[in-house]
Amino acid sequence: MGCEVSMTDPVTYRVVHETRYTYSDTVASSRQLAHLRPRTTQWQTVHAHHVNIDPAASEQSEGSDYFGNGVLRFAIDTPHDELTVHAESIVEVHSHVPEIGAGPAWERAVAATGEWGPDDRFDIAQFQLASPMVPSLPEAAEYARVSFPAGRALPAAMLDLTRRIHVDFVYDPKATTVTTEVREVLAHRRGVCQDFAHLMIACLRSLGLAARYVSGYILNRVPSGKSRLAGADASHAWVEGHCPGSGWIAFDPTNGKVADLEFVTLGWGREFSDVTPLRGVVLGSATQKLAVAVSMQPVATKNSS
Amino acid sequence: MAGSSRRHEPHGAADTAPSSILKDLLATYPAAQGRFDELFEAPAKLRPHWAQVMSELTATPATDVRERLAAAERQIRDSGVTYNVYADPQGLDRPWHLDVLPLIIAPDEWREIEAGIIQRAQLFNQVLIDIYGSQSLLKQGLLPPSLIFAQSGFLRPACRMNIPGGVHLHVYAADLARSPDGRWWVMADRTQAPSGAGYALENRLIVSRAFPALYRELGVQHVARFFATMRDSLMHFAPKGDGPTLTVLLTPGPYNETYFEHALLARYLGFPLVEGGDLTVRDGCIWLKTIGGLKRVHAILRRQDDNYCDPLELRSDSALGVAGLTDCARRGTVLVANALGSGIIESGALLGFLPRLAEHLTGQPLRLPSIATWWCGEPAALADALDQVRNLVFKPADPTFPMEPVFGQDLDKAGLVALRKTLAANPERFVAQELVRVSQAPVLDKAHSNRIAARGIGLRVFAVASPDGYVVMPGGLTRVASSANVRVVSMQRGGGSKDTWVMSAGPVDTSFTLLKSTVTAQDLVRARAGIPSRVVENLFWFGRYEERCDDAARLLRLALNQKLQETDDEENSLTPVLALATAFGLLKDDDDPDSILIRAAVSEDHPFGLPANLRALERVAFNLRDRMSLDNWRTINGLIKDPVLNRTASLAETLGWINRTITSMMTLSGFALDGMTRDDGWRFLSIGRRVERLAFQCLTLQTAFEHRIDSGLSWLLSLADSIVTYRSRYLARPEWLPVLDLLVLDGANPRSVMFQTAGIHSALEKLETVYGACGSELFGPALHTLESLDPARDLHPENMRLRDTIDELRSAAFVLNDRFTQRFFNHAHTAARATLGL
Repeated sequence: MGCEVSMTDPVTYRVVHETRYTYSDTVASSRQLAHLRPRTTQWQTVHAHHVNIDPAASEQSEGSDYFGNGVLRFAIDTPHDELTVHAESIVEVHSHVPEIGAGPAWERAVAATGEWGPDDRFDIAQFQLASPMVPSLPEAAEYARVSFPAGRALPAAMLDLTRRIHVDFVYDPKATTVTTEVREVLAHRRGVCQDFAHLMIACLRSLGLAARYVSGYILNRVPSGKSRLAGADASHAWVEGHCPGSGWIAFDPTNGKVADLEFVTLGWGREFSDVTPLRGVVLGSATQKLAVAVSMQPVATKNSS
Repeated sequence: MAGSSRRHEPHGAADTAPSSILKDLLATYPAAQGRFDELFEAPAKLRPHWAQVMSELTATPATDVRERLAAAERQIRDSGVTYNVYADPQGLDRPWHLDVLPLIIAPDEWREIEAGIIQRAQLFNQVLIDIYGSQSLLKQGLLPPSLIFAQSGFLRPACRMNIPGGVHLHVYAADLARSPDGRWWVMADRTQAPSGAGYALENRLIVSRAFPALYRELGVQHVARFFATMRDSLMHFAPKGDGPTLTVLLTPGPYNETYFEHALLARYLGFPLVEGGDLTVRDGCIWLKTIGGLKRVHAILRRQDDNYCDPLELRSDSALGVAGLTDCARRGTVLVANALGSGIIESGALLGFLPRLAEHLTGQPLRLPSIATWWCGEPAALADALDQVRNLVFKPADPTFPMEPVFGQDLDKAGLVALRKTLAANPERFVAQELVRVSQAPVLDKAHSNRIAARGIGLRVFAVASPDGYVVMPGGLTRVASSANVRVVSMQRGGGSKDTWVMSAGPVDTSFTLLKSTVTAQDLVRARAGIPSRVVENLFWFGRYEERCDDAARLLRLALNQKLQETDDEENSLTPVLALATAFGLLKDDDDPDSILIRAAVSEDHPFGLPANLRALERVAFNLRDRMSLDNWRTINGLIKDPVLNRTASLAETLGWINRTITSMMTLSGFALDGMTRDDGWRFLSIGRRVERLAFQCLTLQTAFEHRIDSGLSWLLSLADSIVTYRSRYLARPEWLPVLDLLVLDGANPRSVMFQTAGIHSALEKLETVYGACGSELFGPALHTLESLDPARDLHPENMRLRDTIDELRSAAFVLNDRFTQRFFNHAHTAARATLGL
């Protein structure tokens, strides 16, 4: 892991995210809501973004959701048997990880809710509460406790939890679906990035900490002799925990590490359902097949050496 | 006031002391014992307005009181007032108990309630503007953010919407109860899609008819203006464009527990009653799918819960909503009443903060307080609540959370421990509320020879937003506990209701009824062209099933009579009749006709039998309840509830039942012929009937042709109800030429092929003037052939021209059905499916 941490220069990526539905019967009409535009943040700049829809949308509009993430809404009113949504983005990412060794004791972060400014507190409060896919679970609190002994600094405790999930849980795309509950993931110790993100959020919230779900992409890097990073062939998900004084710190429980330069952020919410990359309602098909392909590659830029 | 005080004064001091009839009537009426009593102000002393009611009631003999009760009850049953209770084994049509005695409220008392309701409605609207807009109440700490964020009723997609006129809360209802000291308290607020106003209206129509003189004498305020205000205000606030302003009432459908009310309100307000599948989104606007094309919808009075309104942005598992509705509401191209997200106010967690919010937002103290409520999310409040746990009831703060209230007084030691544990784990999810001993009011008690008993009551009061502020319905829905000792007054728990009479301080304004409303020429046009496709499909199938029941009944009667050898027909006709029954699906080849025919007539487990078809007819009629007269419904209900069904029936009983069915089917077609407006809806019903009959006639003739050698022809005439005509024309036994003339070519016989083909053809041509190609070409050539048939040459069973035409018409009937499905009904079947992509 040493080599990733040492990498601190900004990196520019080209991300291609293609979603293809193949329907068993002709779809008469379709309405979709997409979270596919990478978010502009202090550490992330979106240089270009384009979505191509096939068949062409009869109407579409862009806007933003409650959390400030970009959304694209579109409708197709011509009969079709297949839908392809091809999103392509050029994104520049800067390193943004604070000093993990520093920071307040985690108990202080729980008690500190009242010390934040009104706007902060207000924004953070919603990420401390249970949400439909991340209910409050006593067994999650129990699992988390090991990483949170009395007095431990919050960032270090969160990183420890991140690593434990990576070690204790098996990455297994066959084990779960998009609607699998945290309780089952915890019981079976298997899942994918979405499950591990929900699990870690449940752990942090059960201790009274604020945590949010991040949707995005991870670098698809296959150095010789190393296995690919899990989750790189599809869209990825990880977690941000709030730390008084430092703000939101990103952790990737699927890969057991802090999320920094190898990650492109699409957006965040309380859980998966707030930032589902593509959700829709179709009229007229009995079943559908879904194929998702993601590629994320560094591109040479004028600024980089 | 002078006039009113005279009116309210008892007729004399003596009247407040019970007369002997009254004494008998009140013999079992219990003392209030720690409750407020709506009837007595002191032992043996009636409240003044009740003294007047009682003297009226007891001026006539006791039997008369019973007769009035019975009449009111019949009226309720006949008008189909039901309150569907989810998961009720009794099914969807439990008669709803309406007590004939109204709750009566004096004018000065009502003024207080009215002012309090208006203030609450204003306050809630402002809170909604804030929560879904700037959220300054949360930022300033007037509302704890976690209180709002923890509610499933807080809809993030509903934030920062363009709300027409700034009105989130169009219709508001509050559940009131009266404490022992006589004060009214708010038990709960209804803000997303309040039900009950329609029931209040229905109760008023029934109860005011039961006591017309009393109703006038007491100066009861009328409620009609409230509904007119609702209709006009929605139109006022709605965005405009794309034709005349169209408001629809959006219902989850006939299986919803308050569907009757949806139908009633839609009819009363003049709004089309639509389901989610009837609406679609185009160009950022909502449109109603009608057989005449899309019509822009400007306002939606919704009776669906927030979360179910849009599977795209809200609950994706909702099959009820309109995909894209949220975005249309966001753009402000449609008024949604109440605005999406209004349900957040229904959380009991908010109640404790209202006094502070009222001061802050309206500058006034809260006039109509809520019963004491603690939101357990505040540590101090939780401690307070646990201190007096025995006096409180604990409920979920989120009203959609499925949990029965926990009464502290019921808990043993283990129960208390469990409650504490639940609360400690997720305190923000719970509220604790004081228990109120609600007032008792008089009800007529059927179980005790119509004496007067006492029941706990609650009162639901309604307000509607108008351009001049909120207007309160002078009256409301009084709800009655189901037994003398029930702590929760609720319709879903099997309680009943009462009309609510608000006495007038001045003269009653009777100048107004909804019937005098302004209908413009535009409205007329809209009403005609705006029939939702789903309704038209149901009408078409109503026609088909009605005819199919008739066909099945006649065929069964014929077959069973043949078995009985009861006909005066000397010919052997059993073979073709059984062949036809087999082709119709009543028999299978290896069935024993004797037992199966009776089963097909009376038993629902026969898939193509008469009861199965009646069930199908009932289902379609059920979906059309808002468009069919009650007489239709009564007729079908009478058949469905026939005692002969699903029993072991004798042949005689079976034939009696079949005759009843045939009579009822004639009654139904009489209603359609005599009682329905000849609009496109009627046309579809009529085409449905004709198509079904034509197909059956053709099948019958095909069977007869096949068995032309081995049987006589009387059965054909008998099945086509044409024996009488035949005998009056020909004094001979049936022969092919005159029989075929009567059943195929005679354009004056409604059971001839010619009559139905010509009828279908001309009905289709009428539709085509409005909707383009509808399938008249399917029947044109065959009609032409029929007209050109030469009786002498063609009217015999071996003639191929005749037989081909009959074959062609039978398949045309099937093709037309498919065409209609594709052209007019198709989308009604297409289910919306939610999809998720990673």
